[in-house]
Amino acid sequence: MKLIITGFLAGFIATTVPATTAAKAEDMVFTSWGGTTQEAQTKSWAEPFTAASGIKVMQDGPTDYGKLKAMIDSGSVNWDVVDVEMDFAIKAAKDGLLEPIDFKTVPKADLDPRFTTDHAVGSFYYSFVLAWNKGAVSGEPAGWADMFDLTKFPGKRTFYKWSAPGVIEIALLADGVPADKLYPLDLDRAFKKLDTIKSDIVWWSGGAESQQLIASGEATFGQLWNGRVFALDKDGADVGVSWNQNLTAADVLVVPKGAKNKDTAMKFLAAASSPAGQAKFAEASGYAPINTKAKAEMPADAVKSLPDAHVGGQINLDMNYWAANRDTIAARWYAWQAK
Amino acid sequence: MDETVRAVSSRSRVAVMSVETRRNFGTVRVPAGLNGLLPALILIMLFFVIPVLALLLRSVTEPEPGLQNYAALLGDGTYARVFFNTFLVAALVTVATVLVAFPVAWMLAIMPSGLASIIFGIIILSMWTNLLTRTYAWMVLLQRTGVINRTLMTIGVIDHPLPLINNLTGVTIGMVYIMLPFMILPLVGTLRAIDPMTLRAASLCGASPFQAFRRILVPLSLPGVAAGGLMVFVMSLGYFVTPALLGGTSNMMLAEMIAQMVQSLLNWGLGSAAAFILLVVTMVLYALQLRLVGARRTSGGI
Repeated sequence: MKLIITGFLAGFIATTVPATTAAKAEDMVFTSWGGTTQEAQTKSWAEPFTAASGIKVMQDGPTDYGKLKAMIDSGSVNWDVVDVEMDFAIKAAKDGLLEPIDFKTVPKADLDPRFTTDHAVGSFYYSFVLAWNKGAVSGEPAGWADMFDLTKFPGKRTFYKWSAPGVIEIALLADGVPADKLYPLDLDRAFKKLDTIKSDIVWWSGGAESQQLIASGEATFGQLWNGRVFALDKDGADVGVSWNQNLTAADVLVVPKGAKNKDTAMKFLAAASSPAGQAKFAEASGYAPINTKAKAEMPADAVKSLPDAHVGGQINLDMNYWAANRDTIAARWYAWQAK
Repeated sequence: MDETVRAVSSRSRVAVMSVETRRNFGTVRVPAGLNGLLPALILIMLFFVIPVLALLLRSVTEPEPGLQNYAALLGDGTYARVFFNTFLVAALVTVATVLVAFPVAWMLAIMPSGLASIIFGIIILSMWTNLLTRTYAWMVLLQRTGVINRTLMTIGVIDHPLPLINNLTGVTIGMVYIMLPFMILPLVGTLRAIDPMTLRAASLCGASPFQAFRRILVPLSLPGVAAGGLMVFVMSLGYFVTPALLGGTSNMMLAEMIAQMVQSLLNWGLGSAAAFILLVVTMVLYALQLRLVGARRTSGGI
């Protein structure tokens, strides 16, 4: 008898505790990557949204795909809107992890079609650019090929640590592959090229780390998100930047399957992707808006620092290719890194 | 990971011991004893046994039933290298920790107790400081443009910065620093229990200080060294933060690989299999420790 009661109690506690600590019906939870980006998202999207609708937006983070999958698998989804990388979103939609976007609530007409899918609306888009510490580099690196030239540009170079669109493409471009012939990616050729500088690579795993490496001269140059270079420059760091063959990729906003406040989430997406929300966020972060009408609402000098001002030679990383090949590339990537 | 393992084993040990004590009271009272134990048993089942079983289950059912995850882990050169690295780092850290901790522990053991408790306080305080903070501090010290390299270059000892970070050196330095208290504390207990008269007797019998150290002090302190050493080794096996921040990608350790499988590859079957192998290795080592050192020494030393 006691066993039954205790078991019942345990079950009772297990089912009720998450419910009481989770958000009230109207409130919602927004999850992103933390740092200056999430701060800008809170200020540009969540606060105006709360002011207009009275719905509280709680912030959580950082985004963690393992946690996201665990929530969906266990049927207890505490996140309503999540900022994820676009290639992950395409893959996750295929695996049935995401709610379809309700485009009756979210106006689609002005959204950049490059970054909109049935299960995701763009959060912002960015470019990988070549940045360097002016004090530590003699001369000006002109493009990705210079990152592989150890005689002309000695020193440590920093790249994004995780398997994601970007580094493979950079290696191929540096090896002379024309921009329109990048896909399907020739992994053997890319890793062979990367092997030539492997011992001089310092990996960065987060935006703040990439800034710290360049600003301190720990790495003399590297592949950075344009928003991070923008922030370094604003802080007065002596950084140079080359937009030559800048590589665009995007973060998108998704609603996990089974999210508790799906309808509220859709309303939030409408606000976040609106021209005003996108303009505010772009101005604060230096990342580009995914709403084509947003630029009209931004000050002219803020527009100048966006990836949109550097479309000459700009290359769009192929998110669909990456979504389809994410696992195979990742397996090879990590095996190569561990060598 | 390592914390969980230790918690599981120490808790189940407590449970087993109380079962035995109860039994000594006579068979009549067994039902009552079981009733008293129920909450503890349920707690252990809910939070320790079931999750571990679920982990094991996942490792043989995802993505499909079978042992393919274990086959992949044990048959692949990359994973083999990660396993090797994990043991290499754990072994290096253990040896270095023993070498650094022994003189400190000896000093603490023979020091006047007032001063010793101050030093103890400092060591404990460092344990209480956030792990991430301490690891970041090492990053600042060890990097190419860091304090150590700058100083050495300014005084002209070296021309080029030494590679102290993103490699085995960095991981070892950072981890030894973090593991030191776990070695010093049990060691001091053992060393304090050694009668100083044995050393005096050795020198009276004509032993040189080194002989006294090697033939008297070292053998007598072995239980403490073994207890602390195994604890450091087992903790190092599952370490995550320090290797991730101070190591390079080519000396990745198991915990980091598991995190990668779970978080970015979403391959939970493979991650579970790796975690389960780590768990089994840790348990075997723990059993070995219990057998070699005796349960009382291990728990008493800390």
